[in-house]
Amino acid sequence: MVLTVVFFVVPLLSSVYYSLIDYDGISATPAFVGLGNFVELFSDPEVWHALGNNLIWIVLGTAAPLILGLAFALLLWTARRGSRFYRLALFFPYVMPGVAIGITWGWIYDPIDGWLNVGLRAIGLGGLATGWLGQPDTALIAVLVTAIWGACGFVMVIFLSALQNVDQELIDAARLDRANALQRVQHVVVPQIMPVFIMVTTVTLVGGFSVFDIIFIMTQAGPANASNVLGTYAFTNAFQLNRISYGTAIALLITALSIPCAVLLNRLQRRLSIEGMGS
Amino acid sequence: MKRSQFLAAAGAAAVAVALAGCTGGAPTASSASGDGKSVSYLIGQPDTPEQLAGIKANMKTFERESGITVDLQVVPNSSARTLVQTRLRSGKGPDVFGYDTGPGFAGVLAKAGLLYDLTDHVKTADWGIYDWAKPAVTFDGKFYGIPDQIEQVGLYYNKDLFEQYGLEAPTTMAALETAAKKIEAEGKIPFAAGNKEGWEGGHMLSMALASQVGASAMGELIAGDSSWDSDGVKSALSTWAGFQKAGWLPPSPNGITYDNSNALFYSGRAAMNPTGTWLIQTLKDAVKFDVGFVNFPAPSGDAVATTGLGAGTFMSSSSKNTAAALKLMDYLAGDSHGEWELQRYLIPAHPVEGGTSDDPLFQQVVEDTASYAETGAGTGANIDVSATDVFNKAMWDGMQGIVGGTKTPDQVAASLQAAAEKSK
Repeated sequence: MVLTVVFFVVPLLSSVYYSLIDYDGISATPAFVGLGNFVELFSDPEVWHALGNNLIWIVLGTAAPLILGLAFALLLWTARRGSRFYRLALFFPYVMPGVAIGITWGWIYDPIDGWLNVGLRAIGLGGLATGWLGQPDTALIAVLVTAIWGACGFVMVIFLSALQNVDQELIDAARLDRANALQRVQHVVVPQIMPVFIMVTTVTLVGGFSVFDIIFIMTQAGPANASNVLGTYAFTNAFQLNRISYGTAIALLITALSIPCAVLLNRLQRRLSIEGMGS
Repeated sequence: MKRSQFLAAAGAAAVAVALAGCTGGAPTASSASGDGKSVSYLIGQPDTPEQLAGIKANMKTFERESGITVDLQVVPNSSARTLVQTRLRSGKGPDVFGYDTGPGFAGVLAKAGLLYDLTDHVKTADWGIYDWAKPAVTFDGKFYGIPDQIEQVGLYYNKDLFEQYGLEAPTTMAALETAAKKIEAEGKIPFAAGNKEGWEGGHMLSMALASQVGASAMGELIAGDSSWDSDGVKSALSTWAGFQKAGWLPPSPNGITYDNSNALFYSGRAAMNPTGTWLIQTLKDAVKFDVGFVNFPAPSGDAVATTGLGAGTFMSSSSKNTAAALKLMDYLAGDSHGEWELQRYLIPAHPVEGGTSDDPLFQQVVEDTASYAETGAGTGANIDVSATDVFNKAMWDGMQGIVGGTKTPDQVAASLQAAAEKSK
């Protein structure tokens, strides 16, 4: 109860308070502006642009790790040799500091000497070489690919542990019924790990709303705001433009958007558990 | 948690927030109640351990000379500004601290009553600050700090490469364009113009704009007395847009970091580097060829130098060690500290008696900056140290659009004017 108040209720109310004033981080008597920051927020084109980038991040940044993570988990689940090595190799990016990932991939994406462009030129695809982080149309996707690379290992490990509880007899029965591999995964395996699937979806999806660090490290939300998301826009306003209150209002928008998704997915997970799908 | 418990907790929290008042008040100016024997001094983290060791040694010198103990506090540069603001607001700020100059930075602290007014002190202290540097620390007619570390932005060029290709130094626009064409034809990059961080673009615009419109008109722009949505600004933006279209910049400059663009110059893959004089010390060790430094050329007539201040030193209005802090300020504005700075490739904003450097390139810049003050010749301003955060953000985004080829000079000029109006 005390912890909830100290670490959740007070910060939340404090944020609401800051969003209702016009605080620049210095002024001793910030003016009360009521809903002014929220009115500005909804008429600010950059908020909508950033939200659009968040939606791209949420869709691709949730779907890709789920699909790839599940695929890797299934491969390792059925692998007879080398499972430990691949498990370690695939999980390794997840334990790397975000700064290290950002810097390393920044080198890979370098327009002149980056491995990606050097590799493309080496195989005769030099026409595809570009400044991945410096072009408005590729910057967000380039960072997203890095984030997916970093998240797949985590998703894989969770799925791998869930797969240990899958009923092998059901899979054997499906095999006897001549279900192919894809059908066995779709109709036998996935339903059994569905609660875990929903949990992982919730974590990655909510993370898509609040994504900040990897983008800030790799592009600083640029070039010219091209890879801006709500998290980076809130930070820019609060700590670079000294608009603490406006930044807080954007942060509250992130919270308001992510909580319903988390609650819905949580309820879905509970319902599936009660209905007996999965472990 | 039960609903009733949650409501109780929420109510208690609301009361707590209301009681806290959240933002507090400005600390009141204190009288000097310290022991006069100690002073706290906060600086941003220097780039290298050697630089930090040098600063510590310098403070030891001050301690020996004055008998005052310095509590040197080093904080990460990325959070220095926020940290100083928070500490000053709490009334527990450092006595003396480094902070950015100009109305958008120190000016905001002065307006909030957080800086010590040095107006009376400098009348007797005679720091000898160059007149052109004083406005950066003067707000509402009051003098608040020591402007420091004069920086000049312009063009470095690889003298050996220019000689090899039979090119003149790029002191005129015609010579610059001839050089760029030849360098590109030789398979090298004319300008090492990386702009991933964004602020590099601000320097590029500053140097082009100074020579395009002149020192006086640039001053009017920065002061908000004339419009950024004007022909002069558009021409300066067009210069870089033209370089981008001509293929004289590296591929995708917005994907190249400042360090990597410097590396292109160090390695000889790029022939010119549009940046500031802070690079001279690094160049000494990083390159094996002769380097020249020129002001960015004007479309016609003489080029105009572009200068700015890399730092400033200020005192907290709530300092309890005023006497000791003033002695430290006197030391930091004095000849002894000035000589120490020159040895470390930093240029104080005041003349230093007998201060010279062994490095010819650095000595050239030191003499140039001194001559601007002596002759009264105006210099253009490095915009980002004079403008507000809001304007800088618009400028950096705009220049990313220019060198990335995604925005026109007209669009960027309009956005700069909008940001200038927002900053008023």
